[in-house]
Amino acid sequence: MSDRLRPLLVVAAVLVLVLGVVPAVLGAFDRSYLYQVANLALIFVLLAASMHLVTGVAGLLQLGHAAFYGVGAYTAALLATDAGLSFGWTLPLAGLGAAFVAVLVALPTMRLVSIYFAVATLGIGQMLYLVMLNWVPVTKGPNGILITSGLTLFGYDLSRPASAYFVVAVVTLASLWVIHRLSHSYYGNALRSLREDDQCADAMGLDTVRLKIESFAVSGFFAGIAGALWAHTAGYISPADFSFPQSILILAMVVVGGLGSLPGAVIGALVLILLPEVLRPVGDFRNIIVGGVLFFSILLMPKGIIGEVSALDLVRRQLGGAWRGEGTKAGSEVGWR
Amino acid sequence: MNRRDLLIGAGLAALVASGGAALAQQPVVKIGYQLPLTGNTAQYGQDFKNAAEIALAKFNASGKPFKVEIVFEDSRSDAKEGIAIARKFVDDKQIVGVLGDFTSGVSMASAQVYKSAGMPQLSQTASHPDYAKISEWQFRNITTQAQEGPYNADWMADQGFKKIAVIAEQTDWGQTVVSNFADEVKTKGGEVVFSEFFNRGLADFRPIITKIAREKPDAIYTGFFYEDGAQFLKQMKQLGLTIPVYSTSAAYNQKLIELAGADAEGMHLTATFLPSNPAPQVQEFVAAWKEKTGQAEPGQFPAQAYDAVNIMLAALEKAWPEPTREKVRDALAATKDFPGVTGDTTFDADREPAKKLTKAVVKGGQFVAVSN
Repeated sequence: MSDRLRPLLVVAAVLVLVLGVVPAVLGAFDRSYLYQVANLALIFVLLAASMHLVTGVAGLLQLGHAAFYGVGAYTAALLATDAGLSFGWTLPLAGLGAAFVAVLVALPTMRLVSIYFAVATLGIGQMLYLVMLNWVPVTKGPNGILITSGLTLFGYDLSRPASAYFVVAVVTLASLWVIHRLSHSYYGNALRSLREDDQCADAMGLDTVRLKIESFAVSGFFAGIAGALWAHTAGYISPADFSFPQSILILAMVVVGGLGSLPGAVIGALVLILLPEVLRPVGDFRNIIVGGVLFFSILLMPKGIIGEVSALDLVRRQLGGAWRGEGTKAGSEVGWR
Repeated sequence: MNRRDLLIGAGLAALVASGGAALAQQPVVKIGYQLPLTGNTAQYGQDFKNAAEIALAKFNASGKPFKVEIVFEDSRSDAKEGIAIARKFVDDKQIVGVLGDFTSGVSMASAQVYKSAGMPQLSQTASHPDYAKISEWQFRNITTQAQEGPYNADWMADQGFKKIAVIAEQTDWGQTVVSNFADEVKTKGGEVVFSEFFNRGLADFRPIITKIAREKPDAIYTGFFYEDGAQFLKQMKQLGLTIPVYSTSAAYNQKLIELAGADAEGMHLTATFLPSNPAPQVQEFVAAWKEKTGQAEPGQFPAQAYDAVNIMLAALEKAWPEPTREKVRDALAATKDFPGVTGDTTFDADREPAKKLTKAVVKGGQFVAVSN
């Protein structure tokens, strides 16, 4: 009985907290700044959760996640401005657009293993960023896109930060639920087996390439959803919002929170968005403090706040023999398989 | 009550006490300034802060009926932070006007907040063609390429240059450099024989320079900042190209000459601010700048920030007593012939500044004003 009740209680507690307690507290202060920070934190919670599926659960070190976030944001922004679609349409289409690009990216890169895969995603993230920057006729290039329609749903204007909060919160919670169900199931365990040893998983009869592409597509989908949320709440996007440092920020969230743990990714995102805002009065030193928190969390908690697997172990495994100083043996993996 | 509550309580008490003390002496009006104090573009933000502090100290010492306080917030040139700061400023009922941000991207993202909340925003550098069109609350204190481009095209046409190569950085600003200039060249009967964009921070300009040389233009028009400009000029000389180079006021910075050395000699550009200008307000600013920062002469951007702050302060004075955001906006919109260090500033109906441009050339390691 209690085993069945516990998940329900957790879900109820999260719902009450996010949709009841937090807005009540923010409402008591009545400051749009707090809602803005809350919206931003939720968008990055979703980004970290989507990356968690690929990097934390499936163990694929991804260095270009912000590109999918950008594809989603640009899809939403272009559909909202050029096609005049409302948020109800742009949100799912942004997800699908980003998922489509993620599959295209996955097809060639899935043949790569370990650090080569990481570098390939780094390159592709950079390429997508340069496409946003330089494909001026479509993306408006460095001019960025103004989304004047704001956040409208079923004819209601929800652009005020307080009402936008509920939209962002509901979308993020629903996405988190899907990601949670995917990663805590037989399917999720299959993904975990890829992280632990994909050759062994292959030998056990799992279609590893298909699993990797699927996890990439789902991860890209939710990154795209986050992009649509950002585009509609910010009202203006430009390529700088989706550059390489943003990918690293999302990766840092997943690592600090703990690789392989969804609550970890959520907490990591909250820490890395809220900490710089809380530290604003400190002035110039706030970035140093954030850097220090990152450094010491990896030093003292290699598994992150609540992780399944140590980030150092993952990197060590990614680097393979090179890390252990064994050198590459003839016939061993050298990037292709 | 735990320790954190106690700290917050103590902080609030201190705020109330200090606010009360200030009120007893003289009323205080607050304005916000969002700018990059850390990150990739921190060098610009720090310059703005120094310029703003010079302007503010002068204003507060001049015996006005009220004191002004500027709240500086660090945006790191990141749109996420810029929007959060904008919300913070809007929430603070005491803040009646905002300056900044540095980049057009962050300025425009923040402008969405200022537009919906009704807060006057004056950027010293946002050059995006659509920035001031966002709403009636956006102002800027930088000449746009809509003014500078045709001015430079006319200047080059007067020199008899027909075939012109154009390069500019791949930013919203760089786009406007090329489009505004090319249109006027065409109407003057000239021809743009080559045009290309480069990404900021490009280390190797030689492929572009080789392509330019192949087109054999009479002159080169460039849209770059001093870092890229110095690289370009040096590599051009290395490749033995001696075609005259023209540029915009964005390249106007003493550091360009420091970095490029003798290779900068003979470069033509337009400027709205020359530290050698004998006008008293310019000399006063240059002296105060040298004293405060210990640096050499201020560049174009700090000068624009200095004027932007002074224009905002003048608007506050006009809106006094009982300044509101609406009154400050109206006062800003009514700014006419404001005598600043970057020339006289008037905002037109679209809240764009019209300024007098000065032609200058690099000669003997100095920017020197020329008549043509």
